[in-house]
Amino acid sequence: MSQTISDGIPARRLTSCGDRSCEWLVDPIPRPAPAAITITLQPRQPRVTFIDHSKPNSIIILGHAAEILRERGVTVADDILVKPDASQRMPEAMLQRLASEPGLVLCGVSD
Amino acid sequence: MTDSLVADIENCLENGWSDGLPVIPPYSGLVDDMLAAMGYAATDIIGEIADQQIQVRAEHAAATAVMAGCKTAYGPLLRELALAALDPRFNLSGTEVTTGGASVTVFVSGPVVAALGFEHEANALGANNRANATVGRYAQMLRHFCGRGGGVLKCHGTVGHPGRISFCVAEHPSTVWAPFHTQFGLPAASSAVTLMATEGPNSCNNHYAATGAAVLETIADCMAHYGQTNWYYRSGGFVVVLPPDHMDLIHREFNRDQARAYIHEKARRSTDELIRVGRIAQPPLPYAEVEPGQPRSPLKNLEQLQFIECGAAGGRFSAVIPRWVGSLHAICRAVPNL
Repeated sequence: MSQTISDGIPARRLTSCGDRSCEWLVDPIPRPAPAAITITLQPRQPRVTFIDHSKPNSIIILGHAAEILRERGVTVADDILVKPDASQRMPEAMLQRLASEPGLVLCGVSD
Repeated sequence: MTDSLVADIENCLENGWSDGLPVIPPYSGLVDDMLAAMGYAATDIIGEIADQQIQVRAEHAAATAVMAGCKTAYGPLLRELALAALDPRFNLSGTEVTTGGASVTVFVSGPVVAALGFEHEANALGANNRANATVGRYAQMLRHFCGRGGGVLKCHGTVGHPGRISFCVAEHPSTVWAPFHTQFGLPAASSAVTLMATEGPNSCNNHYAATGAAVLETIADCMAHYGQTNWYYRSGGFVVVLPPDHMDLIHREFNRDQARAYIHEKARRSTDELIRVGRIAQPPLPYAEVEPGQPRSPLKNLEQLQFIECGAAGGRFSAVIPRWVGSLHAICRAVPNL
């Protein structure tokens, strides 16, 4: 696999040094400033919730995946949630609901 | 060139402060001059990408303009371009990461074209001219620098196109139909910068047509090949580029609204054939409004089709620029006449 510029996080600071002094270059890249959140690294409940992102056939594939997991004894939420538009952020209410979901959340299937 | 300047350029290239090409290092003195030209203070907030909890400050845009090689004289235009790119309706981050490989395509129209020295004739879609090349590059660099969550997100463009390095199209200062920006509600006398997320341009060659209708049919056919993106969702659109020789034929038979309606009528394909070759998902979403047995247009409405007049005389070529389907809105902003 080839290396591309997108493989690394851009430097936060670069300096330019002449013979006598250095100056910071002006960073052209805005960085996220997220509010503090609690991340659940391990699900608290052994169940899976699926989210479809509305791309063609995504919901069919997720449905099959849900069946396979159920056959293996995994608890899967009855409804597959639907994110209305693949290219837009999910609605805030859905995000908040998923943030408090104690099980594992699996999102979409791409093109 | 001094060793330290070369070292600074290499430093930018090696640390992700680049679009892949060498940049002018964003020294604070140069960035301050660009901020003044854009009418901003360094810490002014000029936009937000809420999904990523990112605030874009004026110094980010000004540094990007310096790095792209823009003149300070472009400042007022660059200011409006940045505001357009950061308009939430434009979906800058989606444009950066989509599998569709879209560019932030810049359209400049009105008196500012001549005032800033944009090329609008020879090779209008890829001019080797400073204004076109650097303003187009600035737009792509804004996309690349601001659309990736500070570098956390990855670009997923499957093939992309060369316009992701630079893609700026300037309209003739004097046009046969009303200027480009009037299609977005601005007065004819305005200057404007308009952004669309697009694919690369398709050339339409017709050297032997005797009528404007035949030229428009050629253009409609170019919009209706199996591989064009807009068959399913139909949420994108097209910009038709009309150089003088084709325009000379077309305008004798059509005004702009008539040409738009004619292309809309002619650019059709059998829905059943589109399904057969796999261009319509099965079962289709209700949003896609698929009607088996009927001819299908790649446009849901006429507002998805615009015309721009540019290019050199002496060749019977036009072009079609398909818009990316994930950016539903073109953003058009007035630029102060200089």
